[in-house]
Amino acid sequence: MIDALIQGLALVLQWNAFSLMLVGMALGFVVGLLPGIGGAATLALMLPFVFKMSPVEAFAFLLGMHSVAATTGDITSILFGVPGEGLSAATVVDGHPMAKQGEAARALGAALMSSLVGALIGAAALALAIPVVRPLVLTFGSPELFMVTVMGIACITSLSGLGTRAQLKGFAMGFLGLLLATIGQERQSGILRFDFGLMYLWEGLDLIPVLVGIFAIPEIIDLAVRGTSIAGNAPAAKLGAGVWEGIKDTFRHFWLVVRCSVVGVFVGILPGAGGGVAQWMAYAHAAQSARDATDRSRFGRGDVRGVLGPGAANNSKEGGDLIPTIAFGVPGSGAMAILLGAFLIMGLHPGPDMLTKHLAVTYSMVWTLVIANVITVIACLALLPYLAYVTRIRGGVIIPFLLLLVFVGSYTANKQIADLLVTLAAGAVGYLMVRFEWPRAPLVLGFVLGKLAETYLFISMARYGYSWLAQPLVLVLIALTVVVIVFPYFQERRTRAA
Amino acid sequence: MRLSGALFFSAGLALVAACAVSMAFAWPAKAAMFPLTMGIPLLVLALVQVVLDLREPPARADQALANRRSSAVFGWMAGFIALVMLLGFPFAVPIFVFCYLAFAGRERWLLAAVLAAAAWGAFHLLFQRLLHFPFETGLITGWFQ
Repeated sequence: MIDALIQGLALVLQWNAFSLMLVGMALGFVVGLLPGIGGAATLALMLPFVFKMSPVEAFAFLLGMHSVAATTGDITSILFGVPGEGLSAATVVDGHPMAKQGEAARALGAALMSSLVGALIGAAALALAIPVVRPLVLTFGSPELFMVTVMGIACITSLSGLGTRAQLKGFAMGFLGLLLATIGQERQSGILRFDFGLMYLWEGLDLIPVLVGIFAIPEIIDLAVRGTSIAGNAPAAKLGAGVWEGIKDTFRHFWLVVRCSVVGVFVGILPGAGGGVAQWMAYAHAAQSARDATDRSRFGRGDVRGVLGPGAANNSKEGGDLIPTIAFGVPGSGAMAILLGAFLIMGLHPGPDMLTKHLAVTYSMVWTLVIANVITVIACLALLPYLAYVTRIRGGVIIPFLLLLVFVGSYTANKQIADLLVTLAAGAVGYLMVRFEWPRAPLVLGFVLGKLAETYLFISMARYGYSWLAQPLVLVLIALTVVVIVFPYFQERRTRAA
Repeated sequence: MRLSGALFFSAGLALVAACAVSMAFAWPAKAAMFPLTMGIPLLVLALVQVVLDLREPPARADQALANRRSSAVFGWMAGFIALVMLLGFPFAVPIFVFCYLAFAGRERWLLAAVLAAAAWGAFHLLFQRLLHFPFETGLITGWFQ
C-alpha cells in the first residue's frame, strides 16, 4: 500500500499530469466563481478532451478542476452573497455578513484554510477507506438513507433561530422547501404534481436558480438600498488585514473543522446526497455546537464558525464522493457520475481492479485532491488582501456585474430561459423573507433533501413495508434525529435557567 | 385588525399551502402522500403565523426610499430578462451593463462603455471561446439568422 501511495505521488508529479492539473485548476478557479455552471457541468464539458490522455493525466485534469471549483465557490459567496459553485450557499449565511462588517479577508482566510483542512481529511479518508469501505456502504440501504435525510431535515431546528416564533417560522419554511421539492413528475407513479400544464416543471425546480435567487438577489437589493459599497463604512485598513486571523480561526476551532469534515466525508459516501446536503448539515452542526443560546444567536450575523463548518465539509465531501465511485462504480453525486464516464473512456472499470491492479492510479487521485487544494489555497491566500478590496467598490458599479453573475449562472445550469424567471421569482420570495424575518436556510435544506427523502421512503416502504422502522441502524438514526431536534431546546432552557 | 406586509406574506404562504393541499387530495395516494405530509403542517403553521401577525402592531419604519430602490432593482432584473429573450445573452450582456451603469449608476458614459466592453469580453472569452457554451438566440436576433 505504501509503495502504491508513493507511486501515485510520482505519477501526479510527472510533467504532463502536473501541467494538465494546473490547466484544470485554472479552469476550475474561474468556473467556481460562477453560480450554476458548477463543477459537474464543467466536468461534462471537458470530458471530450480526455480521450487522448493517460488515466493519470485525465484524472489530474478533471479532479484538479473539480476540487478547485468547490474551493473558489466560497469567494463569491462571501464577497457578494452570490453562491459561487451553486452548492456553497451555506457559506453565504455568515460569510457575507462578515464581508458587510468589513471582515471579508478574515472570512475568506477562514473559508480557504478550513477548505484545505477539509480536503486533506477527505483525501485521507479516501486513502484509508478504500480497503474497508465495502461493509460500510453495504450497511446503508434505503431505510438508513431515508433516516439520514430525516436527520438532515431535523437540522432545521438549529437553522431557525431562537425562540418559539423563530422555530415556527423555521419549520414552516422547512415544510415549504420540502413541498417545493415535490414539484414535477412523481417518480413511482408518473403523476405530474404542481406542473400547471408547463413542461418546464415536469423535472421539478432546479436547485441553482432557486438557491441563487433566494440568497443573492436580496443581498443585491440590500446593496442598492444602502447605496454604499458592500463593506459600507468599515475602515479601509481593516479590509485586507484579517487573512491571518481567518487562518488562525481555523485552528482555534480545529475540532469543529474536523467534525464538519467528517460530516462531509460521510455525506459524500452516501449515494445521491451531494455537496449541498453536506454543507447545510455541517452548518447546522456548527450552530449546534455553540456553547449556549446566546452563543448560538451569533450565527447568521457573521460568526466565523458558520464559515468554517461549511467550508470544511464542502471539500472533504470530494474524498467521500470518490469512495463509492472508485470502490463500486456507484457515483455519490452528479459530478462523480460524470467522472465515472471518464473511467470508462480510459478503459478502467471501477471496483476491485481499482483496489488491486490500478491501485497506483487510485492513489494518484488522492494526491491530486491534496496537491490541487494546497496550490489553490496558497494562490488564493496571496490574492486575498486584494480580493477583499472588491467590497469597497461602489454599489452602483458592482451591481450590474453581480446581476450578470446571478442570471448567467442560473441560465448555465440548464440552458433554459425559464430558469431566469424562476431566479427572479425566488429572488422576490427571498427578499420578502428577509424583510419579514423568515429564515432562508430551512427552506433550502428542505428543498435539497425533499426529493431524496421521498425516493428513499418509497423504496423502503415498497421493499420492507413498515418493518424497516425496526431495523437496528434505523433505530439508532431515529434516536440521533430526536437528539438533533431536542438539543437546541434543551440548550435554550439551560441558558435561561443559568 | 392590523394590516401589514408581514401579515400579507404569512397569508400568502397559507394560501399557497391551502392550494397545494387541495390539489394533492385529487391525486392517487402514492403521489399525494408526501405533498400532504408537508402541506398540512405548513398550512397550520402559516395560519398560526397569520394570527400572530394580526395581534402584532405593524412596524412604523419609513420604507419609502427602500421600496423605491428595491422596485428599481427588480425593474432592471426584469429588463435584463426581457433583453435576453429578445436579443440573446451575447447582446444583452453589454447593453445591460452599459445602461445600468449610465442610467442607474450615473457613471460617466465612457466608463460605462469600457466596463460594458469588458463584461462582453469576459463573457465571450469564457463561455463562447473556452467552454463553447450554447446560448439560445433571442427572438429578434433569430430573425437575422
